[in-house]
Amino acid sequence: MSQALASSPVAEIAAERLTDEVRQAEAAAVLGMADVSLDVRCGCKGPGTVAWLDSLDVPVPEKFNSWLPLGEGGRIARLGMTEFLIEGDAVVVDRITTTPRAAGVYPVLHEDAALILGGARVNELLRQTCNVNFAALNLAERPVVLTSLVGVGVTVLPEQTAKGLIYRIWCDGSYGRYLFETLHDIAHELGGGTVSPQHLYA
Amino acid sequence: MKIMTCPLNGPRPVSEFFYWGEVRPMPDPDSCTDAEWADYVFNRNGAPGVKREWWCHTPSNTWFIAERDTEKDIVLKTYFYQGDA
Amino acid sequence: MPWRLLRFALNKKHPEPRMFTSHNKLKSSYDVVIIGAGGHGLAAAYYLATEHGIKNVCVLEKGYIGGGNTGRNTTIIRSNYLTPEGVKFYDESVRLWQDLSRDFDLNLFYANRGHFTLAHTDSALRTMRWRAEVNKHYGVASEVVGPEAVKEAAPMIDLSCAGHSPILGALYHAPGSVARHDAVAWGYGRGADRRGVEIHQQTEVLGINVQGGKVKGVNTSRGYISTNKVLCAVAGSTPRILKMVDVRTPIYIHPLQAMVSEPIKPWLDPILVSGSLHVYISQSARGELVMGASLDPYELHATRSTLDFVEGLTSHMLDMFPFLSSVKVMRQWAGMADMTPDFAPIMGKTPVEGFYLDSGWGTWGFKATPVCGKTMAHTLVNDTPHPLITGFSLDRFSNYALTGEKGAASVGH
Repeated sequence: MSQALASSPVAEIAAERLTDEVRQAEAAAVLGMADVSLDVRCGCKGPGTVAWLDSLDVPVPEKFNSWLPLGEGGRIARLGMTEFLIEGDAVVVDRITTTPRAAGVYPVLHEDAALILGGARVNELLRQTCNVNFAALNLAERPVVLTSLVGVGVTVLPEQTAKGLIYRIWCDGSYGRYLFETLHDIAHELGGGTVSPQHLYA
Repeated sequence: MKIMTCPLNGPRPVSEFFYWGEVRPMPDPDSCTDAEWADYVFNRNGAPGVKREWWCHTPSNTWFIAERDTEKDIVLKTYFYQGDA
Repeated sequence: MPWRLLRFALNKKHPEPRMFTSHNKLKSSYDVVIIGAGGHGLAAAYYLATEHGIKNVCVLEKGYIGGGNTGRNTTIIRSNYLTPEGVKFYDESVRLWQDLSRDFDLNLFYANRGHFTLAHTDSALRTMRWRAEVNKHYGVASEVVGPEAVKEAAPMIDLSCAGHSPILGALYHAPGSVARHDAVAWGYGRGADRRGVEIHQQTEVLGINVQGGKVKGVNTSRGYISTNKVLCAVAGSTPRILKMVDVRTPIYIHPLQAMVSEPIKPWLDPILVSGSLHVYISQSARGELVMGASLDPYELHATRSTLDFVEGLTSHMLDMFPFLSSVKVMRQWAGMADMTPDFAPIMGKTPVEGFYLDSGWGTWGFKATPVCGKTMAHTLVNDTPHPLITGFSLDRFSNYALTGEKGAASVGH
């Protein structure tokens, strides 16, 4: 496959809006956003999925709309009842994508734009763009929120890292540029900007 | 802002939802008459009242049933469809 | 000067007659009962009296004259439709409109502005070429123009629409006009009233007496009336009336919202419509911007307004006209649109003898007011549909012969 097809759906806008290297740490502390669309991920769903993931030794979040951490800083999110998004752990993703599917398990294609947002003013941005009150979530329950952000259907996953709270956000790749541009403009107004992902988690 | 409660994702603004009309039983296409089929395809119960409707929470693609008063715009309850889907 | 005016007003030699006669009582029977004193119902009464000499007519209105969709639309009149049935029908309507002020001796503020339907995509432009050809074939002025013509007619427009929906061209319809909508109902109402038609406001229809498949009378909140002919012209309330006569139709009700800005200096002469951005806009004679969008997304039998609507419409509005960002919205409202699956009306006879429908006018009924009145009066008198409305009969659905009027409302489908 060509390099062009493997690039992030928001590669151009993320590069265009990238904050100067010297100012990135400062921007990330206030309100940083980063493109992580190229992280490995896969999806599957169907009534047989829970049993199948069990048989592959993949941890399965018990509650609907919750998530569990995987190795290598990865995660598995349960979207609704029987759909799963697995990301960041190459070993697990590889095991899922190379094992023949069992009955009642179907693949879910992910051509997502994936972003992370973090920093002291991140909840201000979410209050401006979304109807869900993220400040009221109980992070100990590891919630996943499927909602609409500036009119785009998104999956949001709050995650506590060594550098503080970050939000992982996925949307269909075709809406990526609009979502990225809109959130970037607000982040910029609030004193933040686009940074490299390592500034948001260690 | 109107609030609709998704049985899976909880209360959300109605802008997150898609409306797909009243729940209507389909006559058997093999045995019904042309007139019955045309009635099913085109005609609607257009008068106001409490109706059982299909709704979908679009960010999660969750389909469910809402009982709604179409005159007062009040959602009475929401639940998953029971039976063959 | 105000003193002289006051003296004139009090002078018994110059009495100003009231616009309508008020009637204390309903008669026990009428030749025709019309339900709904909006533009359509009153126009039918007017033409029954003027063209057919039928004056023993009663118009029943639950609220007040022109208080429904007649007074809630965005006053646009045009005839650049897509199907031959539609084009012929609306073109006749536009012709009637042009003479109405004189017929009524009442200023309707009928203003010919020109109407642009903007195309932001190649496929929209293709449909417009098709529409223009159908229109021209039937002698309706309609042509596809380039973005420069749009810019010339509305110099304040951002042709790129904030960079994401550039305007590629437009369907230009020179006869496109606006008129003062409530005056239309008043004009028809006064004309009918002067010829002996009774208009009863604050009179609700509670039931319709049907025996052996024939209309026998109407039960109202002010008593029973016997009649053999009932015309139902009640827009968003149509399904409620249909329930009384047990007639099933495809009509479903969604609210359609609109709003106006504060009055500003005249800057926009033509009427602009964008299907992609879900916006239509014109500037009234008073300087207000009259704006509308698409239907509300779910069934509702109420006329409440929403903030979602204002947010959505203004954001698209600003894509087209960024300089409007500091203009205030003055008021907003909604009407109940009686929608049909093929975006064409349902007019004519029904399975109940003596019960006639003028319905399914969804988001496109105002411009059709005169021709609906005229054709429905003909249909009632002859008990056979007027040739212009045969394509709009209720039985087209059971015959799987829909009309497919996609040029119907400005936006939303």
